[in-house]
Amino acid sequence: MPLLVSVDVADEQRRTTLTNLFEAAGYRVVAPEQSDVIVSDTKPPRRGLEELTDWPAQSVLTPRELDVIEAISAGLSNKAIARELGISLHTVKFHIESLLRKLGARTRAEAVAKAMERRKKETVEL
Amino acid sequence: MNAPLNDLQSLSQSVETVVAATKDRVVAIRNASRRHVSGFVWQPDVVVTSEQAMGERDEYEIVTADGRSSRAQIAGRDAGTNILALRLNDRIDVSSTVAASPRIGSLALALAANVDGSTAVRMGTVRSVGDRWFSRSGGRIDQRIALDIRLQRTEEGGLVVDTAGALIGMSTLGRPGEVLAIPTATIERIVPQLLANGRVMRGWLGVALRPVVVPDALIAQAGQQVAMMVMSLAEQGPAAQAGVTAGDILLTIDGIALRDMRQLLARLSEDNVGKSVELRLIRGGHIIKLDAQISSRP
Repeated sequence: MPLLVSVDVADEQRRTTLTNLFEAAGYRVVAPEQSDVIVSDTKPPRRGLEELTDWPAQSVLTPRELDVIEAISAGLSNKAIARELGISLHTVKFHIESLLRKLGARTRAEAVAKAMERRKKETVEL
Repeated sequence: MNAPLNDLQSLSQSVETVVAATKDRVVAIRNASRRHVSGFVWQPDVVVTSEQAMGERDEYEIVTADGRSSRAQIAGRDAGTNILALRLNDRIDVSSTVAASPRIGSLALALAANVDGSTAVRMGTVRSVGDRWFSRSGGRIDQRIALDIRLQRTEEGGLVVDTAGALIGMSTLGRPGEVLAIPTATIERIVPQLLANGRVMRGWLGVALRPVVVPDALIAQAGQQVAMMVMSLAEQGPAAQAGVTAGDILLTIDGIALRDMRQLLARLSEDNVGKSVELRLIRGGHIIKLDAQISSRP
């Protein structure tokens, strides 16, 4: 799933400026002719040889938080998540608060994007 | 009579001398579409290069500084230590390598190849020298040698030498902005395994894990706050055969808490293949123990 940033820009000139900005940063701008500029993440830059390090304990997710972020990534609403996991809506919201904090995200969409990146970075095969 | 050389001229001549003596080892590795990677002659019939820079072709063309070319095939590769070995069809005779003992602050020269085989040089210092370290792909690297040079993708895999022309190691792109040298000692250890088996037969359990917080109620009994959740299992792999299932939270392997990945990787070395280890894990709110036998990665 690519990283999608949608920018609502009515002004043609500003749209062009933003398109150029994103393209210069290495992102591919998709469908620039429409009224929204949709920036889609290209293949991520090749990472080099990275060292294995420990994870900071305060940002490690709980099993329940993992369940919730997976469900959000699958597009489920809070009510659907509550139903799916057999927990109250209130508890779902509580987990989401914690997720936003631990992932350093401000919105659901941002949380999904960060969670995906984390998943790639954190998964270890033994 | 010529004026005596000033210090800069002496430095420059010394660098040129080392490069002249070393450049015959540097080669361009070309695939069919004329894209290339740098590498160097390790033995007369073996070229070493950066594993992450190479694709999966059946055959490559090796071009030396003096323009000679030879065909070569990949003999073995290891993502863990970033080392890939190619076997040459035609030998390239070079003198044997002398390993360097890199010291922080000493000058280092990184030699790479252009697409036509000619040599390109960068000079900098050995930025830092650290102890043995593990890469995220599970390789054990004898020293963490960082260099203060810039390196382009096509230059990776070339050799890094000190002012005596002794081999510090193979140049490698680390995390963004970082340039490392894979030490000669690591190359010496890994290449024979690549030539013999095509890969490093590291200890393997066949399990993909992610860090998770241990459920509150079990922290006291578990004796740790962070553990690793099983995301997936290799079919018929050691963990699957031991009865591990996705969703299990692994606490310890062979007594080592899954918080300390480095210690764990050290335990899953080539030497411990075949060894039986105890897995302590949380399943359904209880802590259970299973036995697994370390095998080697297929």
